[in-house]
Amino acid sequence: MRLLDIKRLSKEYKGGTHALCNVNFSVNEGEFISVIGPSGAGKSTLLRCINRMIDATDGEITFDGVSVLNLKKKELRRLRTRIGMIFQHYNLVNRLSVIENVLHGRLGYKTTLEGIIGRHDEEEKEQAFAILDKLGLRNETYKRCDQLSGGQKQRVGIARALIQNPKLVLCDEPIASLDPNASKIIMDHLKAINKDMGITCILNLHQVDVAIKYSERIIGINSGKTVYDGPANELTMEKIHEIYGSEAGELIIE
Amino acid sequence: MNITESVVSNPIQLDKSRLKRTKSGKIKVKVLRRSQVVTNITLVSLVILTIYGFLSFNYKNINFLEAVNNTITNVRTMFLDSALNHFTLSESLYQILITMGLAFLTTVIGGVISLILGLFAAKNLTNEKVSNVIKGFVAFIRAVPTILWVLIFAVAAGLGSVAAVIGMTFHTVGYLIKAFSESIEELDEGVIEALKASGASWWQIVFQAILPSTATYLLAWTFLRFEINFTNAVAMGAAAGAGGIGFELFMASGFYFDVREVGFITYLILAVAVLLEILSTRIKNRYLY
Repeated sequence: MRLLDIKRLSKEYKGGTHALCNVNFSVNEGEFISVIGPSGAGKSTLLRCINRMIDATDGEITFDGVSVLNLKKKELRRLRTRIGMIFQHYNLVNRLSVIENVLHGRLGYKTTLEGIIGRHDEEEKEQAFAILDKLGLRNETYKRCDQLSGGQKQRVGIARALIQNPKLVLCDEPIASLDPNASKIIMDHLKAINKDMGITCILNLHQVDVAIKYSERIIGINSGKTVYDGPANELTMEKIHEIYGSEAGELIIE
Repeated sequence: MNITESVVSNPIQLDKSRLKRTKSGKIKVKVLRRSQVVTNITLVSLVILTIYGFLSFNYKNINFLEAVNNTITNVRTMFLDSALNHFTLSESLYQILITMGLAFLTTVIGGVISLILGLFAAKNLTNEKVSNVIKGFVAFIRAVPTILWVLIFAVAAGLGSVAAVIGMTFHTVGYLIKAFSESIEELDEGVIEALKASGASWWQIVFQAILPSTATYLLAWTFLRFEINFTNAVAMGAAAGAGGIGFELFMASGFYFDVREVGFITYLILAVAVLLEILSTRIKNRYLY
């Protein structure tokens, strides 16, 4: 089933930088897609256009039958509850406990007042604890987030996205600040939520080898244009050089 | 091997022709920027003005040494011979309490107003326009000294505690909005982004992310302002008839010419200020971090 449809998507920043030029692709439910490309190619912009954290200048985005770009404030909030997001720097509230941070994922479903006083019903709390158990954070539940390691923080970030009950999870460089060991744990968890829960995942990655290993499909972006869109196993060295605009021998993965 | 040898034997080759040198041929490390030149000129002219000022004072016929001597005698009586003559210790403590009340009231009212407006003044929470309007207005409030605000409000409310409270609150708001909004702007943009991306509304973000993250700073600034307001309240008591220990100080010095009492009251105020400082540090260390 078609989940996301992106047509002629363009984004021009003030000052004339073309972050995205005429990007087209569609995503089926349950896919696990990596977006790769050099820094500044427009990967982050692309991801943020999908949940309207950045407003596209031109084009069409359809998510689950809804045209994203025309949504009003309230409908936009509803859309965002269906799309989880995971960040390179985790973006947790460090002074709050793990469980409080996870429950932030439910704010979109609440009235403003409920969210302000932080009222959560028992069901939500149970779900939050269950997700934390699944992600191996059982002993960290009541710790303050600034006491956690990077890998643990990212798992809290995943939990916060999961409790939204999302159809799609956007991951912006989820492992760029993590060591190889923690990176593997995070990637395995992302793969698991994709496989077991059927949640579609779109990841921005800098590690081409990781992208090839974990994802079925890879989208390569250079200067705001898609230069590759296809299965991971068909991504040849030549294609990689085309994506990164590099010559043979210039990349660390060779 | 001594140091010069190690420098000479450095295997990295240097193209010496590109180095900037001073007139005496030494290698330049500091490059004079325009701002530095301006700073230097300002400093030098201030020094010259100060020297000229002291040279051109009109000393009238005061014997300088005698004047210094008299001052020292006065200060000595003030601080070594302090005493209460016109009221008792318990009365003075009560007056201190009034001054504290003045400081407390202005800090609380100002703090609440500043918290709300501070949110709207923080650039990462509102748009640039709203923020600039509030910040510009607040800069104007801060540019006018507290005592002037009190006197301005005294036109409507009459000299006394009402004008003092309104005027001091005004200045408190000017100070705290700047402090609060800048503390909030320090906050990592990513946290706001994350909550926004999960569908949270503006007020939810404020209460769930902004306030928990910045509460320590906000409280620290409020404490600092309370201390400032305490000293301000003393001055307002003297200058605007707001009552409290400041008024007694004014009476002792300007009405009774009683330097001993002035000394005693000064000690009292100092003690309270130190006490407040200790208290606020304790609270900060124990409950907030």
